[in-house]
Amino acid sequence: MPYLDALYNFAYKLTLNEDDAKDLLQDTCMKAYRFINSFEKGTNAKAWLFRILKNSFINDYRKKSKAPAMVDYQDVESYYNSDKGDSSREITVDLRAETVRDKLGDEITIALNSLDVDFRTVIILCDLEGFKYDEMAKILDIPIGTVRSRLHRARNMLKVKLAVYAAKMGYK
Amino acid sequence: MNKLIHWIGKTFGSKSNKCPEEEHCLELARLMLDEESTADDKQYVMKHIGSCYKCYDNYDVEKAIREVVKQKCKNLKIPQDVTNQIREKIGAH
Repeated sequence: MPYLDALYNFAYKLTLNEDDAKDLLQDTCMKAYRFINSFEKGTNAKAWLFRILKNSFINDYRKKSKAPAMVDYQDVESYYNSDKGDSSREITVDLRAETVRDKLGDEITIALNSLDVDFRTVIILCDLEGFKYDEMAKILDIPIGTVRSRLHRARNMLKVKLAVYAAKMGYK
Repeated sequence: MNKLIHWIGKTFGSKSNKCPEEEHCLELARLMLDEESTADDKQYVMKHIGSCYKCYDNYDVEKAIREVVKQKCKNLKIPQDVTNQIREKIGAH
């Protein structure tokens, strides 16, 4: 079955729990198998499968899955109120250095996971899975303008989180 | 080359140096990196970041973040036992 790794990756990023991710993936596969006739030949199968998984997550798992750690706004606020001022320049230098990128391995995952699931989802679909905006709109059942604005906000939040990490790690 | 540009930026760029088009340029740069921009928007971004350090910087950070996310977050492989369970369930139907 194609796209299993990508679907599992998506399930895990949504639930942040291995067992829930496994269950969610199995549900998705069973639904895809059961409703295969609703798939229109010639359309994007990967997007169709991601949509089933996303709907299953909303219906069955979102309530019971653990709430993701929220962005630590106090950290963000204190960072911006400090005399460090222009954070974008500081993180610029950091993120492009290979050594910092290596060290940012865990932090980037933590930063991504700490975003609210709606924001996390658009980054995963766009950056990891390479979906186009119109495909994301179909997967998420939202207008394309909302995809665009949600992605913009998600990227802003991720950047702030990474700036905070970089500052904490002492990179300037 | 990047290091040189950064050195120039850090050395000569004032921290209070603001670009009035920064927000607009960042939005279009993101669309460009997502391959969702129009040809006109792309042309605007490329021309603008060629002469504005602040916006070049923003663009480069955006690119770097995407690369790090791709590099660090995509390596999750499905456990073999899950694949087997799915095969068994589908086979049983």
